[in-house]
Amino acid sequence: MSTLRTTERPAAGGRFRFGDSLAGYGFLAPWLVGFFLLTLGPAIASFYLSLTDYSGLGAANWVGAENYVRIATDDPRFWTAMNVTFTFVLLSVPLKLIFALAVAVALNRGLAGLSFFRAIFYLPSLVGGSVAVAVLWRQVFAGDGLLNQALNALFGFEGPSWISNPSTSLYTLVLLAVWQFGSSMIIFLAGLRQIPQDMYEAASIDGASKARQFLKITLPLLTPVIFFNAVILTIDAFKAFTSAFVISDGTGGPIDSTLFYTLYLYQEAFTNFRFGYASALAWVLVLIIAFFTAMSFLTARFWVHYDD
Amino acid sequence: MTDAALSTTTIAPRTDTGEPSVSPWKRALLYALLLAVSFLMLYPLLWMVASSFKPDSEIFTSTGLVPADLTVDAYRRGWSGLSIGFGWMFFNSLVISLLVVIGNLFSCSMAAYAFTRLRFKGRGFWFTLMLGTLMMPQHAVLIPQYVMFLKLGWVNSILPLVVPKFLAIDAFFIFLMVQFFRGIPRELDEAAIMDGCGPLRIFLKVILPLSTPVLATAAVFSFIWTWDDFFAPLIYLNDIEKYTAQLGLRTFVDSTGTSDWGSLFAMSTLTVLPVFILFILFQRLLIEGIATTGMKR
Repeated sequence: MSTLRTTERPAAGGRFRFGDSLAGYGFLAPWLVGFFLLTLGPAIASFYLSLTDYSGLGAANWVGAENYVRIATDDPRFWTAMNVTFTFVLLSVPLKLIFALAVAVALNRGLAGLSFFRAIFYLPSLVGGSVAVAVLWRQVFAGDGLLNQALNALFGFEGPSWISNPSTSLYTLVLLAVWQFGSSMIIFLAGLRQIPQDMYEAASIDGASKARQFLKITLPLLTPVIFFNAVILTIDAFKAFTSAFVISDGTGGPIDSTLFYTLYLYQEAFTNFRFGYASALAWVLVLIIAFFTAMSFLTARFWVHYDD
Repeated sequence: MTDAALSTTTIAPRTDTGEPSVSPWKRALLYALLLAVSFLMLYPLLWMVASSFKPDSEIFTSTGLVPADLTVDAYRRGWSGLSIGFGWMFFNSLVISLLVVIGNLFSCSMAAYAFTRLRFKGRGFWFTLMLGTLMMPQHAVLIPQYVMFLKLGWVNSILPLVVPKFLAIDAFFIFLMVQFFRGIPRELDEAAIMDGCGPLRIFLKVILPLSTPVLATAAVFSFIWTWDDFFAPLIYLNDIEKYTAQLGLRTFVDSTGTSDWGSLFAMSTLTVLPVFILFILFQRLLIEGIATTGMKR
């Protein structure tokens, strides 16, 4: 490592900066190796595999666009997975944003015990992706689970098994996602603190009501944070896997009602060993996520308000 | 702003139309509401812990938090419920998580140092690529990575879970450290250069010692995310002796079905416990880490 030592050299502007490519690339070496071997190389390879019938064993036979054609025209489970995933994304992301923002605004009123509430609301985000919580969810929404016991005790209502009923199972997963609004809430809280207090004072001198202040000051000034949270939550929702896997025993059931895209991808790749086809599925997911991200950035200039 | 908002409630409102920023009644209502919501949110977790100390018959008849009959029987059953004891799986999880922490701290701090402090040709180009990988879903590289590790004979070992972390694959932590390193005054580097320090000594003696907050944040997040990770162990570990606690728990669900919720809850509680302890100890770091980077999990 002693070869990394460099001599200093005056840069333009008269200050001393050392610029030595050897040191720079020396420190960057682990990342560079990782980038080429674990990111760029595999990304190219996975596109190539998506054009083959590779199964993990034997040769990868070139099939051209066949995998993609089959995805689009001859794979009902793909469309089921799309349907489930989009329903999940379109329900969980807005609900999470609304809860996170509402709680953040409530907590930002100068209440004592802010850090206590913040910690409690954040805890589900920290543990929510674990197998343990998925196990818990299975029990809570089972036919004889906690929710139905409570419903029965409170209202005498005999609830169905929410998990094993295909028309409700997905919503238990949406609820599990919304339950984890805490990390977005923390980002909102940080954003709310950036808003200068005197703007509210000026507005209330002008006679603006609280609701008007929220709509005309808080919301516009918070749009960069809303935008950021929305993008991150959307990408994350498309990638959701563990809870659906554990709750449905890896099947995506009942009757494919919780067949998240990632779960279908997993089944094709690692239970059916259709590496070629799964690679094509993976690229479709990457393109969907890229499309959503690009769309958010493109529409951002119409609604996201940045300081000059 | 908390303080600012607090102080506005103690001084009289300055408008005739507006109300004080929060009136006492509204404040009480807000507290009640927040308490109710947080209690409701935590209830399933509390109930899980409570139920792990209940006899099995009580789990399906009691929605309360206090076990009528406190017993650790479920823990005893669960701990030896699989052919390999849960203790061994906790050990596996611990080894993998600690190695990932070391790998991330080592490789990501080096990359962040290169990006923020060293001037070299192509730096901007690589930095842009690094930011690009932040957005890229892992699915794009999943299958070829798996095939590569298969050909290397690494599948069914911890190597695919650990080695990539020594190659700075978690760009998020590079980003986190870049943000922090940028805040360290350059004058310190320049003083060290005057003293004849090279980049390596500056990294070790100036940057790293000043970066304990961000290193701690990265370490805690690395540990928790690896501890909780399910997907990578699921595809890379086959033998039950190599299972992590998460994988063991999932296998346990399969083997007991829904017949023994007590021991399932007991083992679930144990797998969440390390995360919970870290949360209590490093709450501020975690929350500030989330707030400053705007990253969520």
